[in-house]
Amino acid sequence: MPLNIDQLLERVEKPSRYTGSEMNAIVKPLSEAEVSFAFCFPDTYEVAMSNLAIKILYGVLNELPYAVCERCCMPWVDMRKELMENQIPLFSLESKTPLNAFDIVGFTLQYEMSYTNILDMLHLGGIPVKSAQRGETDPIVVAGGPCAFNPEPLHAFVDAVMVGDGEELIVEFTNVVRECRKNGASRQECLRRLSQLEGVYIPSLYVDEYNPDGTLKSLTPMDETVPAVINKRIHVNMDDAYCPTCPPVPYMQVVFDRIMLEIMRGCTRGCRFCQAGMLYRPVRERSVDKLCQLAKESVENTGYEEISLSSLSSSDYSHINELATRLTDELSDKRVSLSLPSLRVDKFVQDTLTQTQRVKKSSLTFAPEAGTQRLRDVINKGVTEENLMETLHNAFSNGWSAVKLYFMTGLPTETDEDLAGIAELAKKSAGVYYSIPKGQRVKGLRITCSASVFVPKPFTPFQWCAQDRPDEVKRKQHMVKELFRPLQSAHFNYHDSAISRIEACFAVGDRRMADVLYRAWELGCVLDGWNEYFRYDLWLQAFEDCGLDVDFYAHRVRGKDELLPWDHINAYIDKSFLWREYEKAMREETTRDCREGCNGCGLQRLKGVCSVCGLQRLKGVCSVCG
Amino acid sequence: MRMMTVFEKGEALRFIGHLDLMRTMQRALRRSNLPVKYSNGFNPHIRLSFAAPLSVGVVGRRELMEVPVEEGVTEEAYCEALNRVLPECMHIVSARAIDDSFPTLMSLVAGSRYTIKLMASPEADSAAAAFDKFMAMDSYVATRRTKSGDNPCDIRPFVKAGSISKTDEGYEIKLETIVFANGALKPSLWLDCLCTVAETSIPAHIIYRDVVLAKDANDQLIPMEEYIHG
Repeated sequence: MPLNIDQLLERVEKPSRYTGSEMNAIVKPLSEAEVSFAFCFPDTYEVAMSNLAIKILYGVLNELPYAVCERCCMPWVDMRKELMENQIPLFSLESKTPLNAFDIVGFTLQYEMSYTNILDMLHLGGIPVKSAQRGETDPIVVAGGPCAFNPEPLHAFVDAVMVGDGEELIVEFTNVVRECRKNGASRQECLRRLSQLEGVYIPSLYVDEYNPDGTLKSLTPMDETVPAVINKRIHVNMDDAYCPTCPPVPYMQVVFDRIMLEIMRGCTRGCRFCQAGMLYRPVRERSVDKLCQLAKESVENTGYEEISLSSLSSSDYSHINELATRLTDELSDKRVSLSLPSLRVDKFVQDTLTQTQRVKKSSLTFAPEAGTQRLRDVINKGVTEENLMETLHNAFSNGWSAVKLYFMTGLPTETDEDLAGIAELAKKSAGVYYSIPKGQRVKGLRITCSASVFVPKPFTPFQWCAQDRPDEVKRKQHMVKELFRPLQSAHFNYHDSAISRIEACFAVGDRRMADVLYRAWELGCVLDGWNEYFRYDLWLQAFEDCGLDVDFYAHRVRGKDELLPWDHINAYIDKSFLWREYEKAMREETTRDCREGCNGCGLQRLKGVCSVCGLQRLKGVCSVCG
Repeated sequence: MRMMTVFEKGEALRFIGHLDLMRTMQRALRRSNLPVKYSNGFNPHIRLSFAAPLSVGVVGRRELMEVPVEEGVTEEAYCEALNRVLPECMHIVSARAIDDSFPTLMSLVAGSRYTIKLMASPEADSAAAAFDKFMAMDSYVATRRTKSGDNPCDIRPFVKAGSISKTDEGYEIKLETIVFANGALKPSLWLDCLCTVAETSIPAHIIYRDVVLAKDANDQLIPMEEYIHG
């Protein structure tokens, strides 16, 4: 039964967060579906609708004639209050159906600090928050996405986890649930059958044990029918991967309000702090022809005025210039502009700059990540100061005057000298601008430097590292801030150290973190990703109430042989490779880009999957990959 | 050449704000492949403009906008192309080609007609009972929320005519409002004031703008789409 929410909408901020009915929203009769899926995003509508995964999987599921997929987002504080006070369950955008009426409720995990929202959405949607309390008529709750590579802190709340690319897996998953519904299989039977799918993890079928020092002793399957290792799924050929060319077009302005054209998946750079760079291996590109066709379709279906070429490292796309030229030519009559996000400083060549400018000037963002070459070598960010200055010179002489530089503080081995390097880099960037004659540069230089706090992430060479303690983080942030004071056109912003601390606990946390999560939610923590609602005091209380120590998770260096909570997840990246990279980092040694030769991360053992590393096919030639 | 476009903003979309509506129309026009005129500059956009912004929460039955198009586009083709790409609850009712000497629609706005449906409830009964008393008042000073803060404002002069009738669902109020140099009256504010006079809380309701008005040569209020220039 659809709910009547009109009177609530009169009273809340931004009501179009909850109304649906966008262009291209898919409304299929729910009662006729053999299986229904509520795709939940544990953050607000404007964040959700900026995410590519939801667009892909929403499209994939709704292409199935027998399935219906509807969307649901975390309500904002005002709507959440209205729902609770009026005892109206959280509902889907399309048909305004309560969450508990769906067969499957799926969450995408993009950020650890959205975890309390998952608990809250389940509760608001009329679904028991804890997996163990769900009955035969409750939906199967599943989660996927980058954070699902360490699903342990959520083990008590999700019935299943999908690991890796979801395009095919989500269909297989939905089909198993559909079969089980048809045959009247029990919930337990259904979960058992799901556990047989490659890439699916059923946390309730495993038992955890701990050593006296608090580290994980074992995580074992209940019996031999349950897989001991969960292999991530990889969709190899991007040209035949589903591309959402007809996604819902929001009425309200969302964070990324444009066509996101996924030009490739994966990254060959091997930055040592970067989780996405490891998880999304190997690199897989779409062809230029395919991308031009997809871009045209997307513009025709959505009417968007902007396309962003989206990937982890778009300037590494092998035919980036050809692509930019062809897209600009083919789309300029429709006044569609092109933007290139996440550009690395080294390969951003001048002709690409000029291409972008031909249609529209977008703001420029670069991520040197660290202030000195020494530290950039430690993190394997293959960018030199020379690269950055050359690129900035090009940018400033082509009409740009505002740039954003992203940094991280608290990186392993960081010294005060490295931090001072951030201010130095800002100063030198300004110098480049003023070196250009007045008539040839645009007025209004603005250099914005933002620094996040280093968070150790699973499946990275820095997964063993500790985060700086909060007082040290604050000292460092303050120091850099002071160094920026005399700089006129440069500004320094930094992230909240407390949020990053809790984020670290969840990133590398084990099953016991589920207790902290539950307790924090009970105490009233929600929307933690929004600074104004983050309650550090309540989080610390939750740790205390559960008898767990923040230091153990966030500020402890893990041992080489320690069993890590995510060791049963196979991302095809060898732990030995990560350790090798960690040791090289400590020696300030860099590792080459995979395109220059295989570094033996582990993927090379999967035949025909990694196209970049071609060498491994020649037996006995490459000593690294064997 | 411009197209004077009459469109409907349906119930499901009544919570879409003015800027969002504008963006939606821009995108619909781009999808339609109609030969519309773009502005120059780095951020080219279609210079469409609306006669009178509709407040959030109000359904628009015959809203008006003007869209610059190349010569030669027929009214039928224009409506057909746009209706093909608009979401279900947004619909082009009609279009009329006007030349460049025709005044801007915004400059023609003289008033609006609204229908306010009150769903049957004790609050609606109280509000209805106070209707005549409220209409008989010579002035009523309400607080208007504007960007520069809360301003006291006499709302009575904005209301030219009003009537109320009982329906199966509750009550239906018809309101004709006029605009002045200092702005227009929000029908939701008028309803707030009626309820204040009636000493009741606001009943469940829905507001429709039936038509946007212009003044003809004889100073009579007429639907803007019927306005003849010159």
